[in-house]
Amino acid sequence: MLNLFSGLELGPIFRALMRNKIGALLIALQIALTLTIMVNAIFMMQERSQQMARPSGLDETNTFYLSNTIFAQNYNTQTALQQDLQRIRQTPGVVAATQINAIPLSGGGWSMGLQTKPGDDLEGTGTAVYMVDEQGIDALGVELIAGENFQSSDIVWREVGSTKWPPKTMITKALAEAMFEGDWKKALGKTVYIDNHQPVQITGIINGLQAPWNGWNGVERSMLVPQQLDGRGSRYFIRTEAGRRDELMPVIEKMLADSDRGRIIRNVTSMEQTRDESYQEHQATNTILLTVIIVLTLITGFGIVGLAMFSINRRTRQIGTRRALGASQWQVMRYFMLENLLISSAGVVLGAAGAVGLNIWLVSTFSMSPLSPVLLVIGVVALLIVGQLAVSYPALVASRISPATATRGRA
Amino acid sequence: MLTMNKISKSFMTDDVVTHALRDIQLHVNEGDFVSVTGPSGSGKTTFLNIAGLLETSTSGEYLLDGEDITKLNDSGRSRMRNQKIGFIFQSFNLIPDLNLFDNVDVPLRYRGLNASERKKRIEYHLDQVGLASRMKHLPSQLSGGQQQRVAIARALATSPRFLLADEPTGNLDSQMAQSVMSLLEDINKAGTTILMVTHDPSLAARATRQIYIKDGHVSELTQKNSNLHLVGEA
Repeated sequence: MLNLFSGLELGPIFRALMRNKIGALLIALQIALTLTIMVNAIFMMQERSQQMARPSGLDETNTFYLSNTIFAQNYNTQTALQQDLQRIRQTPGVVAATQINAIPLSGGGWSMGLQTKPGDDLEGTGTAVYMVDEQGIDALGVELIAGENFQSSDIVWREVGSTKWPPKTMITKALAEAMFEGDWKKALGKTVYIDNHQPVQITGIINGLQAPWNGWNGVERSMLVPQQLDGRGSRYFIRTEAGRRDELMPVIEKMLADSDRGRIIRNVTSMEQTRDESYQEHQATNTILLTVIIVLTLITGFGIVGLAMFSINRRTRQIGTRRALGASQWQVMRYFMLENLLISSAGVVLGAAGAVGLNIWLVSTFSMSPLSPVLLVIGVVALLIVGQLAVSYPALVASRISPATATRGRA
Repeated sequence: MLTMNKISKSFMTDDVVTHALRDIQLHVNEGDFVSVTGPSGSGKTTFLNIAGLLETSTSGEYLLDGEDITKLNDSGRSRMRNQKIGFIFQSFNLIPDLNLFDNVDVPLRYRGLNASERKKRIEYHLDQVGLASRMKHLPSQLSGGQQQRVAIARALATSPRFLLADEPTGNLDSQMAQSVMSLLEDINKAGTTILMVTHDPSLAARATRQIYIKDGHVSELTQKNSNLHLVGEA
């Protein structure tokens, strides 16, 4: 170990670099820029990945939904809905089914404000609204953690254009915490107000159910209301026994289509597909960011290789002289690796400042969270390693320069 | 001190074998000052490179201070160069980005000496060549003769037992050449063995022994000192 690191030439290397600043400075700036962009890009990727990893609260692997659009005239929508649900529920392999007004993570749905006191000038807590029947929580596969489910007698019809809300609701734990100072248990049994004045009693708390909008900061806040929409377009949400979803999707689609020729059954979609589509933009952004990081890192790596090779070609005789004066191959290699370490260190110091600066701007402009210092440290270490890896080949080439170059080689 | 026994060196280029040195027999004792002359392409530099462990021979035995050099690996040869051999080059081979202090420091760092010991040696040897006051200067700020003096200080800083000089006055005017030559003579008188390649017959004549190389063969020109033995022409 003593031999490996004896006679480190940090001082002379630094002084020599100071006399040839331009090349080293350009590489240091390139490293700084790479670190600045890389750390913030990784941070953005991390935020998106964390968003994508959030559980929706649903039994995603065993659920799907479809759209039912009625085109026939003189159609009894209420009867047809009840018959459809009955047929679906009777299909072997189906666990539960409900009509629903919106699909979690689909991008489109209903939202309202809930407030603990009635009043026009009070600011409510925003929540997604899902209209379901007594099979709602089973069909979605959400977990009821307090209170009770809706009874069939609770379900009321809602006509198109109506603004009337039923007197009961089940809300998510996150919504309860947002409304009752972080203590979701306080919410059970309480009366809250929807549409400013209409009282609604919280009869159940569910563990989680995400809203239709994944980018909304209140995505975990949802409420279930016991309502069925009376209209010519509706959606059925179905949960199957484990592993039977794909088998039952076409079966139910055909069964519904065959049972009534006065409507169209379409958009038969699994929840997994909906999740994938919901986060498609996130995934695309992450792919672009990853590509930018890789390309920038490669450019930096090649820049280091290029500078080192140029420097070695320029200093062939000097290297031969060092070898003649007693430098071992390892000592020559170490010289170039230390030189790169000094350049990279200057680059990462500048880059760390740049990364923090860019993050401060992103936080103030786009309301992002502040950068994790751990990520910054990881970025710094990663770029130092990239620098050392990039310079290792040129350093190896340098170490193989014959000491005889001192007497024969190019100047 | 130095014994070469049937040392040969050949190069292969495009299926053509070039014999640079052929069966060299040489013994140099400690304290000798040997000059090496010969026409261009005769093998002088190859001879110097092999003597200074900058190249390996194709065949033969080379003993330096009793150690068989042909058995050493690259790392061992590097250590031997650093500890026992000092080099003076025709083009001085100073590192242009380093000041005089750092230039003389180069081989001392490879030796692994501590900072205070290195400083002591650097200051002493730069003082010896009359450049102690300019140790923060860059080589480009010195004349050719001064640069060669720095190179000599660098070569002597490791206290080598064997000094190899490749055309040490080749890039100097005659006045500077005389000055450098006098310095080398002083160094030799202090006990350091010197092997010097030169084109200049008058400088070669100042050595205690003259070797002539032609077509890879070594022959003896004069013998001023009985403790130098040239073992005939190979």
